[in-house]
Amino acid sequence: MPSPSPSPSPMAINIASPSPTRSMFSKKRSKPPIASAASYLNALSQADARARTTRAPTATPALSLSSSITSSSEDTVLNESEHAYDPSNADGLTHPARPPTSEQVFTTVHTEFGHCANDKFRLTSQHALGEPLPEHVEQDPPYYILLSTYISYLILIVIGHIRDFLGKRLSPKYYTHLVPRNGYAPLNSDFDSFYTRRLKTRMDECFSQPVTGVAGRTIVLLDRISPDYNHTHIFTGTRTRALNISSYNYLGFAQARGGCADAVEESIIRYGVTTCGARLEGGSSDLHTTTEALVAEFVGMEDALISSMGFATNSAYIPALVGKGSLVISDELNHASIRFGTRLSGANVRMFKHNDMRNLESLLREVISQGQPKTHRPWKKILVVVEGLYSMEGTLVNLPVILELKKKYKFYLFVDEAHSIGALGPHGRGVADYFGIDPRSIDILMGTFTKSFGAAGGYIAGNKALIDRLRVRGHLGPYAEAMTPPVLTQVLASMASIMGVAVPSPASDAVSNTLVPTAHPGPASESALPSWLTLPPLLASGIEGRSRLRRLAFNSRYLHRGLVKLGFITYGHPASPIVPLLLFNPGKMCMFHRMMLDRATPIVVVVVAYPATPLVTSRVRFCVSAAHTKEDVDTVLRACDEIGDVLDLKHGKAEGGERWSIERIIASAEELAGSS
Amino acid sequence: MESASTNLEPLFAFLAKSLSTLEFAFNKLPGSAVIQRYVKSSHQNDPGRTLLELILVIFAIRTLLQSRTRADRTGKHFIQFSDKEVDELVDEWSPEPLGQPLSAREQAELAVVPIVAGPNGPRPKIASTGKTATNLASLNFTGLAGNENIKERAVETLRKYGLGSCGPPGFYGTLDVHMDLERDIADFLGTEAAILYSQGFSTISSVIPAFCKRGDIIVADRGVSFAIHKGIQISRSTVRWFDHNDLKSLEDVLEGVEKERKKRRGPLTRRFIITEGIFEKDGAMVDLPKLAEKVDMLVGSVAIGLSSSGGFCAGSQTVVDHQRINGPSFVFSASMPALLSVSASEGINILRSTPSILTTLQDNVRAARAILDRVECITIPSHPASPIIHMHIRAPPTSSLHPASAAAATTKPSNPTSPVPRDASTWDWDIETEEKILQDVVEEALVQGVMITKAKRLRGQETVEPRPSIRLAMTSALTKKETEKAVNVVKNAFIKVLGRKR
Ligand SMILES: Cc1ncc(COP(=O)(O)O)c(C=O)c1O
Repeated sequence: MPSPSPSPSPMAINIASPSPTRSMFSKKRSKPPIASAASYLNALSQADARARTTRAPTATPALSLSSSITSSSEDTVLNESEHAYDPSNADGLTHPARPPTSEQVFTTVHTEFGHCANDKFRLTSQHALGEPLPEHVEQDPPYYILLSTYISYLILIVIGHIRDFLGKRLSPKYYTHLVPRNGYAPLNSDFDSFYTRRLKTRMDECFSQPVTGVAGRTIVLLDRISPDYNHTHIFTGTRTRALNISSYNYLGFAQARGGCADAVEESIIRYGVTTCGARLEGGSSDLHTTTEALVAEFVGMEDALISSMGFATNSAYIPALVGKGSLVISDELNHASIRFGTRLSGANVRMFKHNDMRNLESLLREVISQGQPKTHRPWKKILVVVEGLYSMEGTLVNLPVILELKKKYKFYLFVDEAHSIGALGPHGRGVADYFGIDPRSIDILMGTFTKSFGAAGGYIAGNKALIDRLRVRGHLGPYAEAMTPPVLTQVLASMASIMGVAVPSPASDAVSNTLVPTAHPGPASESALPSWLTLPPLLASGIEGRSRLRRLAFNSRYLHRGLVKLGFITYGHPASPIVPLLLFNPGKMCMFHRMMLDRATPIVVVVVAYPATPLVTSRVRFCVSAAHTKEDVDTVLRACDEIGDVLDLKHGKAEGGERWSIERIIASAEELAGSS
Repeated sequence: MESASTNLEPLFAFLAKSLSTLEFAFNKLPGSAVIQRYVKSSHQNDPGRTLLELILVIFAIRTLLQSRTRADRTGKHFIQFSDKEVDELVDEWSPEPLGQPLSAREQAELAVVPIVAGPNGPRPKIASTGKTATNLASLNFTGLAGNENIKERAVETLRKYGLGSCGPPGFYGTLDVHMDLERDIADFLGTEAAILYSQGFSTISSVIPAFCKRGDIIVADRGVSFAIHKGIQISRSTVRWFDHNDLKSLEDVLEGVEKERKKRRGPLTRRFIITEGIFEKDGAMVDLPKLAEKVDMLVGSVAIGLSSSGGFCAGSQTVVDHQRINGPSFVFSASMPALLSVSASEGINILRSTPSILTTLQDNVRAARAILDRVECITIPSHPASPIIHMHIRAPPTSSLHPASAAAATTKPSNPTSPVPRDASTWDWDIETEEKILQDVVEEALVQGVMITKAKRLRGQETVEPRPSIRLAMTSALTKKETEKAVNVVKNAFIKVLGRKR
């Protein structure tokens, strides 16, 4: 909660009782909350009405009107923490629930990276060798949920059309940008933008919420209100610190303090913030060479190439791999950047059903036997593109089976590890590591640094000849800005702390050290880092890196299993740090979002709906981090439990048929997370 | 006969019974009466319509059931194979390698790409030689690389925000500092709003498909950059090309487009003109005041002008908001690291408070051109004020008498559906030879302590193969004297290498 708030936010909800209780749920958990649902909805609509009548908020809108250049950026940068720092710890976010004992030393800031010393809350992210990957079963909700979801959309569409119909006649000035004017066709057609105007705008408060500070364990929201049904947003000037279960900060490397940030600072002082241009035209730095070598070592490939944007790594390198006469076989849920790249490549594209290996095999048999369309010439090459971990579903690619198929059907395999690199596997080396598979049995490993490494940009790795080909043929080499020194350093430092840096043991002499090649997935060789970059011992030894991996694995499984035991319908693999919880009804998305945020410990969540998901399966997507403590996951579970009752979300069949109470789940976290 | 009907009787009875049950159930459904009435009345009005609607319903159901991923087994080109035959075909098939290994030439090209050890700037240390060189290759027009103020702000920001934003703008990746930079850019350019992308190269190829759809018309300059070509390609719009930097040709093409539309009596489609301020390909400058009174979208790079990273699109609020939902590389990519955003804001500050930066740059450009324009063996297509200076090898005098060159002078308008320039048939240079000569110039200059580069191209992937060139980038970080000295080195390298060749 914002501490120096001059007046209560007009969006704050006053529950009828004037008691100082911050949350209506936390104190009376034993009572069935059905009665309160109505009152909650009531309170919500009242707050809504109040928000609409409130005109200019008391606080100055810090960010919306100022035209001066420096002043605004200066105070937002410099005075951030004073605003958001809450010494009273009323939100339970600034100090750990249990103060550290005298022998516990924490080197991180609790709001960025939670203090959790209990070694029981750790797990290894690893697939049981030889076991098949359990197939993902999608649970269906009761029919009335489906029906009401469809009806909701129907109502939204009908009302939208009625409003358009009336609006165009009654207040044409709001529609000028949609109709031809002065001989110019509208930039945006009324049909194309219908979804955005009439459906998405209603939920805009859930999207694009501006924030400030570190996207770590907690995040600071810049509070905003909308006086005109989400057409514009006004910043109230207050800030709210919230538990962040939304950022792709899997290993918790989004930090403004600590060994990595120190290294980045050093790099800015040494290198500045740019390398001035494209890699092939005078923008290459020795840091690029160093980083590419380390990335190759990390993922276990011969060579790697890095680029300044993850999206562009796909969209600009896939066209360098395949072209006319080639075929790309793509999972239907692949990321937009992959689709962008394949479309640019000019190759034919076929899709197979998400993660459905039988469908993939029958497609392979068909396309190889039929050859190219019309001519029936054999394909030049076939590239199967999959993701390691799917960002909307939390499903894992069935790598063992795909590699079986690869042997038989001779296609090339491209795995986008944007979400899985760092987040999966006992050594954090992604899906191959998770399944215990030699990464070199895959042709191309692509990934991004925006997620687990808390940096930016992406990489693509493979054998040396192939990567050299991409250096020359990829679109980015001559035309895109190279990765900047601070980003390179964040990648180097975070990656080296996951790997640990090998120290030459004093007993053995130099010869034995240089001769033994570091086996994958081993520590980074000593020479892998620039000489000026020294990591603190905890990071260099790999101790902290390992602990981060194990915390993430625990938190992921715990949240996933906990939600299932509470009776929710979730998607995805239990090892996945992405945990989608199904909401179905579009109206519940906003409610869920708001109710999570309005709790005593505010929680920010990501809700996604059509078109990012199928129409009915709107969901909230949690992204667990190593930065979360077990208590943070408890907080999320407790919140879901209470809100799930209010919004009628518990329609899953808990494993073993038995639902557990929230108290039992919290008490038996280790057992729950450890069960396979 | 009779026996047959008695045999069938139970069947009829069953049918009748199930029909009546169905009817009963149907009547019990809420709203069924309305449907019934509707069907009845519409059938009365026009029985043909019932048939049509029935077909529509069936078609809709079919489309719904048809999975996107289902194999096209019904097409007329489909050949039925037995499982065994498929197995054999699978066994027989042998794919090409995923990537061709580099040729010796390509390998050599890659090996000589300069790598800077330590910070880049006007006088970087080259990793391969360990020596410093004067830098006329890297893009540092305004000399902001290594600026101490920017470094300071970057460190401050790092300590508040960490490095990565760990999320796309839609999901808690929009930071206050991004909004600040967007406003700073809009203010700087005098537009209503601006939107920030996390990579310069990916900006335009995302802005174009956000607006241009199939059926829209794009009128583009033949000399636009590779990134624009990619954006146009992905938009699937209809393209009409006009001659490079030729407003007369643009007018002709626009007229043609309008005529075409009138002829087809089509609805008003969206039409876009796409061109560049200073062309990446040759440094020519567009005559913007003449081209349009109002530009709807200005797309630019934060990475180049402001020595940071990323790109932007500035325009009206509507134009910007539209991209926040429809720009693929905006929506589906993590936002820019906070410290890069603040660095760019600081860059704008410095440019505003120190206008002399831009005059120094212009002085340097002029000084460089004063030297280069007098070099006989090269031609320069770039605008005299462009900080990017491309230099081609001038064709030896014999070929200037080539009869083909006369064709270029014809006034016949070019074909607007083809991106190929109309004088392309007269291009008689050999790309490989010229690339090799220019590389010799690059290396000769480096020996003399000046780092320059060829314009790197994606040979084989460009829509039109640009003529090989050396691309100089001027910077205000060098004084006029230093610039002159470095440019003289380039000049001498040209004369030495080309003199040797002739
Ligand atoms: C599978 C996948 N590939 C690529 C990307 C793009 O990465 P970046 O955000 O670094 O541009 C993403 C990001 O969301 C992704 O999920």
